Amino acid sequence: MKKILLLSAFCATIAFGGTDVIPVENRTFAQSKFMPDISLVMDASYVNRSIADDEVAHLEVPGVAHGLLGSHSHGGNTHTPYNAKNGFNINYAELVLSSSVDPFFTMDGVFHFSEDAVEIEELYFTSTALGYGARVKAGKFNSNFGYLNEQHHHSWDFADMPLVYESFLGMHGINETGLQLQWIAPTDTYLMIGAEILQGENTQMFGKDKIGDYTTQADAPALFVGYIKTSFDIDDTTILAGLSYAQGTSRIDHSGDEEPHVFSGDSKLYGADLVVKHYFDSYSFLKWQSEVLYRDMDGTQFNLNPADTTAVLTSPTVTKKQAGLYTQLVYGINKSWHTGIRYDTIFQNDVTSNGIDVDKGNNFNKYSAMVEYHTSEFARFRLQYNRNSALYDEDGNRQDIDTIIFQANISIGAHGAHSF
Amino acid sequence: MRLLLLLLPLTLFAHMNIAVSYPYIGAITKSIGGEHIKTVVLARGNWDPHFVVPRPSLISKMRNADALIMNGGQLEIGWMPALLRRAGNPKTNIGSESFLNLSHHVKLINKPTTVDRAGGDIHPDGNPHFHLDPQNIIVLAQTIRDFLISIDSDHADVYKNNYEKFSASWQDKMLKWAEKMSAKKGMKVIQFHNNLAYFNKAYGLDNIGTIEPLPGIPPSSRHIIKTIKLIKDKEPCCILHDVYHSTKTAEFIREKTGIKIVLMPHDIGALQTIEDLTSLFDYLTGAVQ
Repeated sequence: MKKILLLSAFCATIAFGGTDVIPVENRTFAQSKFMPDISLVMDASYVNRSIADDEVAHLEVPGVAHGLLGSHSHGGNTHTPYNAKNGFNINYAELVLSSSVDPFFTMDGVFHFSEDAVEIEELYFTSTALGYGARVKAGKFNSNFGYLNEQHHHSWDFADMPLVYESFLGMHGINETGLQLQWIAPTDTYLMIGAEILQGENTQMFGKDKIGDYTTQADAPALFVGYIKTSFDIDDTTILAGLSYAQGTSRIDHSGDEEPHVFSGDSKLYGADLVVKHYFDSYSFLKWQSEVLYRDMDGTQFNLNPADTTAVLTSPTVTKKQAGLYTQLVYGINKSWHTGIRYDTIFQNDVTSNGIDVDKGNNFNKYSAMVEYHTSEFARFRLQYNRNSALYDEDGNRQDIDTIIFQANISIGAHGAHSF
Repeated sequence: MRLLLLLLPLTLFAHMNIAVSYPYIGAITKSIGGEHIKTVVLARGNWDPHFVVPRPSLISKMRNADALIMNGGQLEIGWMPALLRRAGNPKTNIGSESFLNLSHHVKLINKPTTVDRAGGDIHPDGNPHFHLDPQNIIVLAQTIRDFLISIDSDHADVYKNNYEKFSASWQDKMLKWAEKMSAKKGMKVIQFHNNLAYFNKAYGLDNIGTIEPLPGIPPSSRHIIKTIKLIKDKEPCCILHDVYHSTKTAEFIREKTGIKIVLMPHDIGALQTIEDLTSLFDYLTGAVQ
């Protein structure tokens, strides 16, 4: 008996330990053929900014957003945007696993490793067998609101997010847990209608959690998104246009800020996007991409005592009607070289407090230019210049910030299929 | 009920809508399927088959398809998965009855012994440009005949008949092409990307080098110098150049060596005069001088 045990242990060692002894297909319980597609993307940068890191964290787009460029913390979470530090930054390693589950679903997991944390960026399953142009996705995912929101950072044409997106929605955009239903019309022209029911955990604009004793917990799910997109081709030019809408409760915690406050209310976000891409040949193209976002927030702002943030000083009714856009033009010269320019602005900033207009300014602009070199489909090096004239210091003085970003984006493993 | 009756005839007489990735597949499928099918070609014949723009209009085409025939061998890896996912059409899902991957039915050559991206953007299953061997066209036509019968057995006789006709006339043409090419056996050629591997094999042409140093990697000056030396040493007849890469590098090499550049269409529509499979091979067999 002992001998048999020893023998089987020995066989097992051969079968599973000595890999080249028995070919994969002959190993009885070997499962390596079921390995999902795996890829790893790294994003790193060298940044040279005309302002020190500790100063940049205090800057704000008045009435719209705080601390867009540097690390800052609120609600107990520290947020480090990409390219936050002068000098070298390792922005993330993105691990993607995806595979069919069975004849009815696929599953995708996108894990974001930063230097000291791991986040589930996306984790969802998608139906493949419903037919009739219908598709259901469930889990955590990037909402298909607008054009840019669904794409991962490494497929953007610029190293940073457009001002209006980052100010309104934060660096992850609408990235939520919930349910998505999309339907493609049975027409020759592409027409897609989608709806999403989401938990509502965006810290910049939405949210449902009770903050302090003065706000209430909102019912979950708290965020609803809908959109319609259409596309058609004119010869070698493709036009993609979409309208999007998001509505949800807002519980925004800025109790850790220098002027501590908490906002509780309801918010609506409207978006329109237009992409026009013309192809000269297989590798050379001109792409014009623009999005306009408009938001309407209505609620109560609880201004807290900086010395004791449990004490509410004032609680005015606040409304915010704000709008911004970005428009960018990218020229793909050939397979290796791309170059582009972008203009960002927030052009409307109507804030009222107890019905009285509060002048926070409405002239926030950012200009960017970039050139990138691809050594292959799997490696891209980008040099980007930004002039940011949207940030103000505590005394209300505008700071013009120049930034140079040299970004390296490298991927290994499974070949990613490009979306339009 | 009346509405149903109105709709019924439409579905009865509707053509099967077959999405195919490349024009050559559309041509074979149309030859076999005849009036019972409608083919929807996703990629254009004059652009790089590896880099098809996944335009949203293609999602609609995929969504409305009753079947999908693809080339396979990872030629569509950079664009088709995204379309399949968005379309969510169970009829075009990989592994469904109405899905056909042609590469599983032909023998691929140039299968790399080591698979590593340091060797460029290689196809681990072998060279996927197999339709440029005219003998493979017969194999593909057979495969498509069997596929159409399996999804539409009612018209099995039609598909069998159409195949017989197609195959007979193709065999005749192959004799003609073989005759045309017989004098060119052993001729040395240079290419940009090795997409004529099957054509060269069929007619005994010897590909001695490519202008791109490795698959998918743009030409470097070091490699261009090497290629110029190779041309001077081995004296190949010509550069067989695809229509979608820029001929700039090839023209530079011509200036230095005097070598001829011959544009070689890879698919229907690659050049304006290439309107069907016959004219594609007529052109290819006539171009090599």
